[in-house]
Amino acid sequence: MKTRASSIIILLALIFSASIVQAQKFEQPVLISSAGQSADVKLVKMLAQRQGLNATTVLMAKPSDLNGIKTLIIVPGFSSKGLGAAGVSQQEEFERVQSLIKSANELQIPIVMLHIGGNARRKGQSDSFNQLVGDNSKLMIVVKQADEDGFFTTISNAKKIPLLLVDKIAETEIPLGNLFK
Amino acid sequence: MRTKSFQLILLLTLVFHLGVQGQSTVPSTGRNGMVATAHPLASAAALDMLRSGGNAVDAAVAAAFTIGVVEPDGSGLGGGGGMVIYLKKEQRSYFVNYYGRSSENASGADFKSGRDNYTAKAIEVPGTVAGLLLAHEKFGSLPLKKILEPAIRHAENGFPVDGTLAKLILDNTENIMSDSVTASIFLEDGFPRMEGEKLVQKDLATVLKTIAENGRDGFYEGKLAAAFVKGIRERGGVLTENDFSSYQAEITSPVTGNYRGYDILTANLPQSGISLIQGLNMLENYDLKASGHFSESARTLHIIAEVEKLVYADRYQFVGDPDFVTVPLTGLASKEYARVRFNSINQSKLDPPNYREATYGNPAEFNYDLKKEPVHEMESAGGHTTHLSVIDKDGNAVALTQTLGLFFGSVQTVAGVLFNNAMTNFSYNVENVNYLQNSKRCRSSITPTIILKNGSPYLILGSPGASRIITTLIELVVNVIDFGMDVNEANMAPRFYCQKFEDFLHVESGIKPEVRSELEKMGHKIKVYEGIDLFFGGAQMIYVDAVTGEYSGSADKRRGGIAIGY
Repeated sequence: MKTRASSIIILLALIFSASIVQAQKFEQPVLISSAGQSADVKLVKMLAQRQGLNATTVLMAKPSDLNGIKTLIIVPGFSSKGLGAAGVSQQEEFERVQSLIKSANELQIPIVMLHIGGNARRKGQSDSFNQLVGDNSKLMIVVKQADEDGFFTTISNAKKIPLLLVDKIAETEIPLGNLFK
Repeated sequence: MRTKSFQLILLLTLVFHLGVQGQSTVPSTGRNGMVATAHPLASAAALDMLRSGGNAVDAAVAAAFTIGVVEPDGSGLGGGGGMVIYLKKEQRSYFVNYYGRSSENASGADFKSGRDNYTAKAIEVPGTVAGLLLAHEKFGSLPLKKILEPAIRHAENGFPVDGTLAKLILDNTENIMSDSVTASIFLEDGFPRMEGEKLVQKDLATVLKTIAENGRDGFYEGKLAAAFVKGIRERGGVLTENDFSSYQAEITSPVTGNYRGYDILTANLPQSGISLIQGLNMLENYDLKASGHFSESARTLHIIAEVEKLVYADRYQFVGDPDFVTVPLTGLASKEYARVRFNSINQSKLDPPNYREATYGNPAEFNYDLKKEPVHEMESAGGHTTHLSVIDKDGNAVALTQTLGLFFGSVQTVAGVLFNNAMTNFSYNVENVNYLQNSKRCRSSITPTIILKNGSPYLILGSPGASRIITTLIELVVNVIDFGMDVNEANMAPRFYCQKFEDFLHVESGIKPEVRSELEKMGHKIKVYEGIDLFFGGAQMIYVDAVTGEYSGSADKRRGGIAIGY
């Protein structure tokens, strides 16, 4: 009896959170960028392509890249290899993302955070980027392994930002596409 | 059944830290045996062999086969490596060289570094199977089937992806996707497998079983070799069946040296033991202890960095495959030459002001005809690898480092085997001693090392990390011998990296800010990595207390792994 009640509650919670996500609609064209220069942003680019989104991916997006953009998707995750390839320090990357977010806010361009790296993109140097982007998002879509300690749930509760948790990276694709339908 | 029960108990012990402290703040200790590898399952395999009455070579070979399964990004059947063995009772040492060779057709491969790094053109003949089986045949004691059992089991039944592997799959997804077979192993529906998911490699298990049944010939001859060649050539590679059948691993002597009274046994050519010896010889001319640890003393760090820079300048000029070039080994290893090179260092500032202006030395007096043209390039800055260290109850020791080249090698999986991309390690400058030629071994950074004190093992160590291997090992040896650190302290101390073909002095943030500031005043340009970073390698170390005989092991937190003693 208790198990059944718990299951019903969980199901209702899932439907409720999915419905919040479904209720939020965003517009295209979309700019996809990284926060931390991990390779995850390329996977999100692939997801967006599969959903036929009108999206441009710029790894090191600047405020000027927001011209004509209706939604900004940021993919957080630190990679020293990625920073090395981009030729920037961690601090420089953080300042770039701050500047991008500030401009997006000034232009009233909503930000969607898509965190797909699981534990590989949590803690260490990633969390400063996760916090920065999460705090400034209108919606967070997260592969739930990354939220095992409640990091994103805490942001969601504190800032009243809807949070959609999915089991696998592949499960982010449909919700991503539905944001724009 | 007993083995499986033991493995389960061991894993539970690891989980609940009962007498095993893999990556904690204190070293793991034991008196009967010690293993340190980059993955708990490989360490467990090694320990199982020791507890079954096997020796250090049995344990190392079992661990090496296993780690090729459970850390498939860093080594495996499709790669190569080197192993230093010390037999304590006989007081004899050996070096098993099983690095691969370029194809007999290599010069016709039209390989372009960069463009072809993740293609079949980058594959050279793998040496891992030949080398591990040779070592086992000559020095092992347990049956081959027992040695291979853990690797076969983990390949067939699968194992959980750990954090390090998950991150590497994520980082390398784009490359992995370029080969559909490799993608089917590491990705699911086109997306990277995540930490905790099971990774199964049934085709690899089949290959391992063939080796268990038929030994070396099962891999290098017959149906399997034919399948490798066919698949590689269909993908644009140039390997031939003759490449496979004629490949031989070698047993030679390690390169030897001495540092402050400790004897060094390390990897022979064209691997980089000579560079480690040269660097330590140079540092012998300076009282490092009085100068203070490099994390706290800019002067110490500067001196070591300048030594590292000059070692690399010599390495790129002189170190290559001795079957093709004359390497002035005696000169490079000599104390007198080291003194000359050390005395050329400006101890107060960076001089010349750019690392790339560092010049090679002159071992001409040691009967070497010096080439006049300087080297202006280096091989691929990548190269990722694994190291394991083992010691048994009789004090026999093995230091083993093996690699696929870059992470996931060429990303080409053929007939169950993920193949290397070691061709990226050759130079394409015809004047360079490491120039690509047919059937040649490339210069490699790998440096498995055993250090002796009074004829007994004192330190067993090695690391992955491409060109950072040599600098990391220099710093580790200095940490233990000069600064008296225990093996875990030494392993976790902050690291730095400097060499001729770099524009920056790379440092971990544990090098104090005031030290970095002073180094900048000396002329260094600094790149800081927060915390500890995999860029600086993943060393696995074992220390033997000369007084008590106790073993202490340390697995580098920069990489997943565990040291287990008993």
